[in-house]
Amino acid sequence: MGRFAFDQTVKMGPVVLDPPMVEARPPRSRKSVPLPSPPPEETAESEADQTAALSARAVRLAEYYRGKVETVAKVPVRSLRDFSLWYTPGIAAVSQEIRRDPARAFDLTGRWNTIAVLTDGSRVLGLGNVGPQAALPVMEGKALLFKYLGGVDAVPLPVDVSTPEALIETALRIAPAFGGINLEDIASPKCFQVLEELQRKLPIPVWHDDQLGTAAATLAGLVNALELTGRTLSSTRTVLLGAGAANLVTARLLIRLGHEPHQLTVVDHHGVLHAEREDLDEMQLRNRWKYRIALETNGGGRKGNLSDAMADADVILAASTPVPGTIRPEWVRSMAPHPIVFALANPLPEIWPADARAAGAAVVATGRGDFPNQVNNSLIFPCVFRGVLDARARSIPDEIVIAAAQELARCTATRGITDQHLLPTMDEREVFPHVAAAVAESAVRLGIARVRATREEFYERARTLMARPAALTEALQRSGLVDPMPDEPVPRRNPR
Amino acid sequence: MKRSTPPASESRPDSRAPGAPIHARPALESDLPALIPLIVRLKRLNEEFDPMLKVRPDVEAQAEAVLRAEIKNPKCLVIAAEGTGPDKDKVIGVVRAAIRERPFYMPEAEGVILDIYLLPLYRRHGAGQYLVEHTIAHLKERGAGIVTVEFPAQNEIAGRFYAKLGFRPITAHHARIL
Repeated sequence: MGRFAFDQTVKMGPVVLDPPMVEARPPRSRKSVPLPSPPPEETAESEADQTAALSARAVRLAEYYRGKVETVAKVPVRSLRDFSLWYTPGIAAVSQEIRRDPARAFDLTGRWNTIAVLTDGSRVLGLGNVGPQAALPVMEGKALLFKYLGGVDAVPLPVDVSTPEALIETALRIAPAFGGINLEDIASPKCFQVLEELQRKLPIPVWHDDQLGTAAATLAGLVNALELTGRTLSSTRTVLLGAGAANLVTARLLIRLGHEPHQLTVVDHHGVLHAEREDLDEMQLRNRWKYRIALETNGGGRKGNLSDAMADADVILAASTPVPGTIRPEWVRSMAPHPIVFALANPLPEIWPADARAAGAAVVATGRGDFPNQVNNSLIFPCVFRGVLDARARSIPDEIVIAAAQELARCTATRGITDQHLLPTMDEREVFPHVAAAVAESAVRLGIARVRATREEFYERARTLMARPAALTEALQRSGLVDPMPDEPVPRRNPR
Repeated sequence: MKRSTPPASESRPDSRAPGAPIHARPALESDLPALIPLIVRLKRLNEEFDPMLKVRPDVEAQAEAVLRAEIKNPKCLVIAAEGTGPDKDKVIGVVRAAIRERPFYMPEAEGVILDIYLLPLYRRHGAGQYLVEHTIAHLKERGAGIVTVEFPAQNEIAGRFYAKLGFRPITAHHARIL
């Protein structure tokens, strides 16, 4: 199976490249999935070595290529005379056209397909607040993913701001150049305020992947896991471990989709989140999103820690700390029969899949591409942006996020859902245009689309636009305009 | 000066808020065990806003002593808020208020809301507003012609809440640690 770098883009904790995590890696191998017994100690070390080697190689290649995306002309340039059309004097007329009708920018410039990958660098991967300069390589990578997977032109844009207000102000000021804004790697709860306010103020789609992308991918996997274990959402009891950006949005979307709020229990590092907790007053001031969930959820007034919350639960959705053992097998055993375990921390899941299965889990999902059932936001964000850009949607309400999750779940189901196949893998990207079309159609239905087309038309457009970048990259590699990997003896002709 | 005393026919407001899942009554000494933690929570919250409001280590004992004295003091008012339905007999909120004399200004009697705290679960549906209005009615009954409220200057949520109820800043209270 071809392995792509983006197999590791779900960010609920430090990613694979995070060196400190390498030392924390427990004695267990990636190859150990079906084995109930722990593999020998040296496997862990070799995996640590592998990760260290990958990190070193990433730095070497970054130095070789010096950036991952570049500006390339998409118009013919036969001679410099053509610039009288692409630039002055001809372009003045195009400018006047947009001056008369600003919406024409979406027809006459690349705005229809261009987004900003905007960050303040305050929570980059699992590295924390690294600042805007150090965030740049990550934003470049994200821009490459946007192009390669979604056919979206994305501009990496780390900005030097310190307050949420300044970040909001920046986004408002750069909006004229973009058809959408992707917020990236912004600390919680700041990210909630920034997203909410920008969604309200800007007439273009604004998205925060760490909130919405991860929540949508989780939701899609969960929908299929419930189906597989014969459950309905309305009678399911779910525990969410972690109260960060992703889980708070997952809770909100679950409730929206029909999960009983009182059947949800959120657990953070202080234990069960309940309305009588001492820190609730402070929470109301500093994190009203978490506060709201605290008041709405946990009917029956459960208190205590994760083990108390998990007893008799149908589902555990963990997006917490990348430490195996955070969820103990005996707690999985205390869950309802055939429980669903999503251990989504990266790079190390809260419980190893084999341990969860041995403890009775009917289905296990993680954030990793080397185990079955990867909950990966790369399954969501390229499709959502393709869809909202093609429909020229004004915003991305929760209905659209849910539509994307449901379509992704449905596309998996057409291939058959099994305990090893809850979600499409990154090799099943033929589902992407379907999800994009569902997003676009949903925007039309909600009355927020400025382009009207049928679902089939949206699908065809998405398919074409999403196929182009891979062809482009391949052509550039074949022609030698993109250098082959300098550290590989035989240059690969086809990256796939 | 026009004194705004309520017409004789107007009785004390209904102790149950329309829509608010709470009801309020004067606190009794037997409420102390339930009231003390609420006052402590409020003081700890105030500390969040400002290190100048650092809570004393003996805060529980202090809360008990203060509340015990105030419940008996005719110049003071302590109100206990209870839930409704299954929480009917559960104390879920507290108000401390007092009547102060204004020697230089009119109206002469000032009702001061010193502390008001409601458990988070009971805060919505106009419960806080109901509790304030209920307290104001009591203070008015005891002759207050003006009502004031004290809270940390940094507490913007409280500022907005009281502004909605028609309050505005009147004096400023500045501090310096010595």
